Amino acid sequence: MKVPYVEDKPTQGGSRTPSEDDLSRMIRTTVESWTPRRGPDWPDVLIRLAKSGPPTWLLYTAASAALILILLTAYLVGSALQIGALGPQPVPANLH
Amino acid sequence: MTDARELDPATEFRELYDQQYTSLYRSIRAVVLDGAAAEDLTQEAFVRAYRARHRYTPTAPPGAWLRRIGINLAISYLRRQKLARVLPARLYIAPDRRDYDRAEARDVVTKALGTLSPKLRAAIVLHYYDGLTREEIASVLGVPAGTVASRIAKAVAIMRKSIGSDQDLGPERSNSEGALRGR
Repeated sequence: MKVPYVEDKPTQGGSRTPSEDDLSRMIRTTVESWTPRRGPDWPDVLIRLAKSGPPTWLLYTAASAALILILLTAYLVGSALQIGALGPQPVPANLH
Repeated sequence: MTDARELDPATEFRELYDQQYTSLYRSIRAVVLDGAAAEDLTQEAFVRAYRARHRYTPTAPPGAWLRRIGINLAISYLRRQKLARVLPARLYIAPDRRDYDRAEARDVVTKALGTLSPKLRAAIVLHYYDGLTREEIASVLGVPAGTVASRIAKAVAIMRKSIGSDQDLGPERSNSEGALRGR
């Protein structure tokens, strides 16, 4: 396993550079001192769930299906009514 | 991770929420270094986890599964913030950071965490606070275990240096900071 070289001299970076154990303790103490201001708020989770609407995958699938339907309908209507490029095209007279 | 009992997210999500809320909040806060944003992201992480609760597979503890959702959300949030800073000033309203700067810069550990990139912060908090193994962190962050090991080693080196140089500056700097904070 390739691990970058870590200087382990206690004086490196200053005489009060903490050891790894000290650092681990310091991190734990600091992180454990953080307490959320509001605390757990389950009703807020429920409100967010209600507001969030359908999941993204469902939204994209529905939008894609709608787009395909619109294109297919446009093609069928266009070809039935012979509109634009879907109508009969003039054949060049010089073709044999 | 020290779960008293592993709860099933599909059937015991409410209990899981109460059990894991604070520890997930702390992990997220260690990445974003902003208390208010961390609370919001914690709630959002639980919303996403709730929607995905039936897709949970018990290959990892529910706590590690929640960490994966929360940490990824926190990293995405920071990425969006970074992107927002390059937008024209009219489109981006900078959040008021004064409270954060006053409150968070008080201790050397938070300052040292601030010198790390979000990915290094995530690796270090998952290792030293959540107590996850390198393999579990690798699964949470979606990177190889070797990458996790190198991120932890790099973060430890940076933090030791930062804390060492901070403490070497001694009380003079602390006093001047206190004076500035008092203004």
